[in-house]
Amino acid sequence: MKRLTLLALLIGAGTFAYGNIRVVTTLSDLADLAHVVGGDRVRVDYFVRGDQNPHFVEVKPSYMMKLKSADIFLIIGMELEIWAPQIIDGSRNASLNVVDLSGNIDKLEIPAIVDRSEGDVHRFGNPHYWLDPHNIRPMLETIISAFAKASPDDEPFFRANAEAYLKHLDEKIAGWEAAMKPFAGTKIITFHKSWTYFARWLNITVADQVEPKPGIPPSPSHTASLIQLVREEKIKAIVVEPFYDISAAEQIAGKAGARVIRLSTSVGGVDAATDYISLMDYNITTLAAALK
Amino acid sequence: MSPIDPTAEHGTRSGDHAGSVDRFSSPSTCKIFHRSRPPALFSGQARSARFLNGYTGSTRFDIRHLLEDLVPRLHLCLIIATLGSIAAIHSAVAQGSMNPDISVIPRFLLQTDDSKYLSEGKREFSRPDFSLDELEFGIQSALNPYARADIFVSLSGPDLDASSISLEEAYATILKGLPFDLNVRLGKYRVEYGKINMIHPHAWSFVTEPLSQQRFLGDDGLNDLGISASILLPTGDVYTRFTVDILRGGSVGNAAGIPDTTGEVPFYANTARLMTFLSLTDYSDLELGLSTFTGIHDPYNRERFWYLNGDFKYKYRPSAYTSLTLQGEYLFNTRNASQNRTLVPFLDASGSPERRQIKSSGLYAFADYQFMKVFSVGARYDWSESPYSAQDKANAVSIFLGYYPVEETLGFRLQYQHTTTQAPGISQSVNSIGLEILLSLGPHKAHPF
Repeated sequence: MKRLTLLALLIGAGTFAYGNIRVVTTLSDLADLAHVVGGDRVRVDYFVRGDQNPHFVEVKPSYMMKLKSADIFLIIGMELEIWAPQIIDGSRNASLNVVDLSGNIDKLEIPAIVDRSEGDVHRFGNPHYWLDPHNIRPMLETIISAFAKASPDDEPFFRANAEAYLKHLDEKIAGWEAAMKPFAGTKIITFHKSWTYFARWLNITVADQVEPKPGIPPSPSHTASLIQLVREEKIKAIVVEPFYDISAAEQIAGKAGARVIRLSTSVGGVDAATDYISLMDYNITTLAAALK
Repeated sequence: MSPIDPTAEHGTRSGDHAGSVDRFSSPSTCKIFHRSRPPALFSGQARSARFLNGYTGSTRFDIRHLLEDLVPRLHLCLIIATLGSIAAIHSAVAQGSMNPDISVIPRFLLQTDDSKYLSEGKREFSRPDFSLDELEFGIQSALNPYARADIFVSLSGPDLDASSISLEEAYATILKGLPFDLNVRLGKYRVEYGKINMIHPHAWSFVTEPLSQQRFLGDDGLNDLGISASILLPTGDVYTRFTVDILRGGSVGNAAGIPDTTGEVPFYANTARLMTFLSLTDYSDLELGLSTFTGIHDPYNRERFWYLNGDFKYKYRPSAYTSLTLQGEYLFNTRNASQNRTLVPFLDASGSPERRQIKSSGLYAFADYQFMKVFSVGARYDWSESPYSAQDKANAVSIFLGYYPVEETLGFRLQYQHTTTQAPGISQSVNSIGLEILLSLGPHKAHPF
């Protein structure tokens, strides 16, 4: 009896000491934010590397295994991850808490027409909201609520972590805004409509995309029109994520006198982007250098 | 490739060869690219009518007959209930967000081959024939928080009329809430047997079905009414799944056995598959599977067959626009048989009927290389004997090219296939070229591995 009691105490102590909330996220950025809030009270894993296109992910059984034992699944939502429901179904995890972080976001570009004539349109709006750091606060609030639901006693811990991070983030935001202030109103070209929130935050204008419509490869006529636009507007930068083919952008840049720059939408997309803050550091520094 | 007599009903391969030669080896016109029509579930040839006639003909109450009749009726009721549920959901359109996902995928085929004048010793490619190979309608939806339903109706070419409409799949899958995290599927579905059987043709990298699949499972693969249960095995972080099915057995008659194996008394068929998925690196994965399939191929003599099938799929994807897929399956068949699939008795050397033990096999293996966002190229090797004869062999070499200019909404597949058929008294080779054009309407789901 004494041995059984001791065994039960040890098991209980081990469980309590870890206090692990098992969190899986779709994007590497969300994994970073989960670490920020959860600290050592969470174990975090994610599916999409920063150098992968988050729109197109193959549904692998290994992803289902990650979710099978997870408590919380953090997603961007707004149908960015159209592949997520199949992985959720395949996980057989009836107690999985799927947390959509877009709930408190001021959504942009909600389409008036939702059909394939507009390409791969996101019917709930542009989902790339995490690239405006002002949206990190509502995202963290949603994460805190989800973690606190799983471990109510740790809510003060989660809030303290988030507040400390947001204090640091606010200082960084001020620095980024100062660095980009000279370029307010400047026009850029992007490959895909990933930078809407980023551009609005920094008061720069995305004049057009290399894709004529989301997910549609550039046609010769569209490429020609972009070359003319870049020349006329003296656009200096064409932004392409690491996972997109750079050849069309390079053709436009070469003929129109612009520069193609690789900016990353996610942690790990470039070597320098090891977390969200260093991701934004890299993007701001690279863009500012290109626009000078 | 199995030449198909265009005048034959689907599933029956009436031919002019007695004895051990299976119908596959006819020197008649080869239609390598056209699949014959799938059987209508409730057809005028009245499989269900025979079933009903057998039941109502009984003059005394027999619990065994009652049970044997009840199961197919339950299957039918389940399908009707599933369709009714989907219709009910769809009728709630006015409430806004309850619509099922609806997809339509037409596949057109332009094909030619040099088989037409082979009997005259000439090789001459026929005038390319353009046809609608298949139009697939998909309706898919969550039924409730625990289950979802999937329905696929197929209109198969080349002759489009009401009789070519068939119910390809209609099933419900219970995903949550069952003990041991079981998943249960009920209805009519493509069975989890091997790797390619569950994949709809529009999702293949190539145009034609592998010879071994065609010969041992039939043009439409292993597709049957049944109940399936799967469980994830406790192998740590490695995904390992065991699936077992009880099938009504109609697929046996449609495929590699004698037609109408169900008749008045259904002979259930069974399958099982054990698969495991290994993430080798961040960029490469491997799936391995082992399947079995057993059923009564000859209802008159109650003869059983057994299939054992090994499959693998390896994928290396270093970037968004580059990938290499290697996939293959090997099938081993064993059965005792007194007659072949066309009900012609086997005869020994003296001309007396004999019962044979048949062991035969088949395999395919292909490589598909995507080298740009819109282009892929591949090659496939097929080799197959037939379910009733190890002397009836065919092999094929194919090369294929895929072009998808606007993701999955529009696709083109070009395939050249050289098929050689060898059986006692028959030896021929056919060259075929096919261009498949696919359209895809509706929501695009992510591709499963």
